[in-house]
Amino acid sequence: MLDVRNLSVSYGDTPVLSRLDLHVAAGEFASLVGPSGSGKSSLLRAVTRLHEPSQGEVSTEVEAAQIGFLFQDDALLPWRRVRDNVALGLKIRGVAKKEAFEQAEMWLERLGLAGFGDRYPRQLSGGQRKRVALAQVLALQPRLLLMDEPFASLDAIVRHRITDDLLGWVEREQMTVLLVTHDLEEAISLSDSIYLLSQGPGATIRHRYEVPLPRPRDLVKVRSHPAFAPLYERLWHDLEREVDPDARDHTTDSTEKERVAA
Amino acid sequence: MRTVSNPSSSDPATPNRPGASPQGFVGAALARVWVRRLIALLVFVGGWELLARFEILDPFYAPPPSRVLSVLASLFIDGSIWTHLQATFTAALLGLGFGLLVGAVLGFAAALVPLLAELLEPVMILFNAIPRVILAPLFVIWLGIGIASKVAVAFLLVAVLTFFAVYSGIREVDERLIERVRTLGGGRWVLLREVYLPSVTTWVMGNLKVAVGFAFTGAVVGEFVAASRGLGYLLTFAQSQFNAALTLALIVLIMAFVLLLFTLAGRLERRLLRWRYQQ
Repeated sequence: MLDVRNLSVSYGDTPVLSRLDLHVAAGEFASLVGPSGSGKSSLLRAVTRLHEPSQGEVSTEVEAAQIGFLFQDDALLPWRRVRDNVALGLKIRGVAKKEAFEQAEMWLERLGLAGFGDRYPRQLSGGQRKRVALAQVLALQPRLLLMDEPFASLDAIVRHRITDDLLGWVEREQMTVLLVTHDLEEAISLSDSIYLLSQGPGATIRHRYEVPLPRPRDLVKVRSHPAFAPLYERLWHDLEREVDPDARDHTTDSTEKERVAA
Repeated sequence: MRTVSNPSSSDPATPNRPGASPQGFVGAALARVWVRRLIALLVFVGGWELLARFEILDPFYAPPPSRVLSVLASLFIDGSIWTHLQATFTAALLGLGFGLLVGAVLGFAAALVPLLAELLEPVMILFNAIPRVILAPLFVIWLGIGIASKVAVAFLLVAVLTFFAVYSGIREVDERLIERVRTLGGGRWVLLREVYLPSVTTWVMGNLKVAVGFAFTGAVVGEFVAASRGLGYLLTFAQSQFNAALTLALIVLIMAFVLLLFTLAGRLERRLLRWRYQQ
């Protein structure tokens, strides 16, 4: 579904990604983890052509219109009502206004925001705005969903609920997903496979991990599955080595560890 | 009884209930800022009136407010004010309208066409730095003492203000919103309609009150320089006669009209930017 080959991305003279290969099969939920600032977001921006790569190929089996992108922040159009924000993508695709509004209301209802269509984004809480942003993307029924640390700013309970709703939706629709996250637990509990990005500049894929957890998953119970903890430890260890290759020689130095966790 | 009293159990002896006694009523009224401001204004005007009546203030320089008011009333009663009001209003509103339009279009164009920005920016910065009213005599030479020269001054004041509001407004449009609309599949036209135009409206509306003030400044200054009608013309006339009462009456009149326009501008702003004000 998503095939990234030999991809290099640079901002000005600074190489960010270098000769990166990544493959996400149809219906697969893949995550990308890595040190902060290693270029995880740059990969998604290159896939959606928000930033042109300097080298390499990105091919998707679907058209651009079938790719959904959920951003880290919930920048909705502040001057448009919630309903207009959700219907925006549909209207851009030529859906008639009335039909687009009906679908928007339906998606708001599915995401627990029935009756909020007339509000302005400023009148919603952070979690509600995130749900609106999610409705805006899901309303287009994307076949490939790209997410850039979408729920990082939410508190634990709200985050759990939205993630749970999203997981249910993705499993039912067998959507292909590439999630960028710095949260290893989130990556393991949601994904089928996890890619570890090396420390930049010029980051590349260091390793690919299979997640041997059964589906459908329960976000809470999955953490006590016997395969969870070993994978977590392995990922943590590898990530730590990425950030600080001499970590084992300086086990008392925890600053880098904190930087990864932050 | 230490518990909070039940509102239905009325105790006539309680003096602090609002409205229950004169003392409570006055206390409640004084708690409001506009009441305190009104009282301060009345004290100021009343004091002035008394000082002028007893000629502690020279009425030639500071005529009592009652006299200013009667001069103002007579202007309306004999109807002589209308032609001047009409002249100033027409010049100010035409200058405001054209200034907003041209300033917005140029600001928009400069933000989107780099070459235009290169050429326009220094000119606009120069116009912004100088007191623009110094151009009024030039406009009188070019456009005559009729309304056109007053419109030109008001226009220039408003257009430069609007240009910078729109120009910086567009350049500071939230990049994330542009990316968002683009990933939803929006092209230039959608970006214009959904992101740029609403941003521009926000900036123009935020400057509308200032623009109204500028438009009147421009029109009145234009009339100071050379005119046969208008409030500015009437003001120079009153000044040449050393008529302080008429001068004050005209100042009050202009303030009243500008306040009225401020209110209208404020309403328009709240309507167009309701996404910002709705609770």
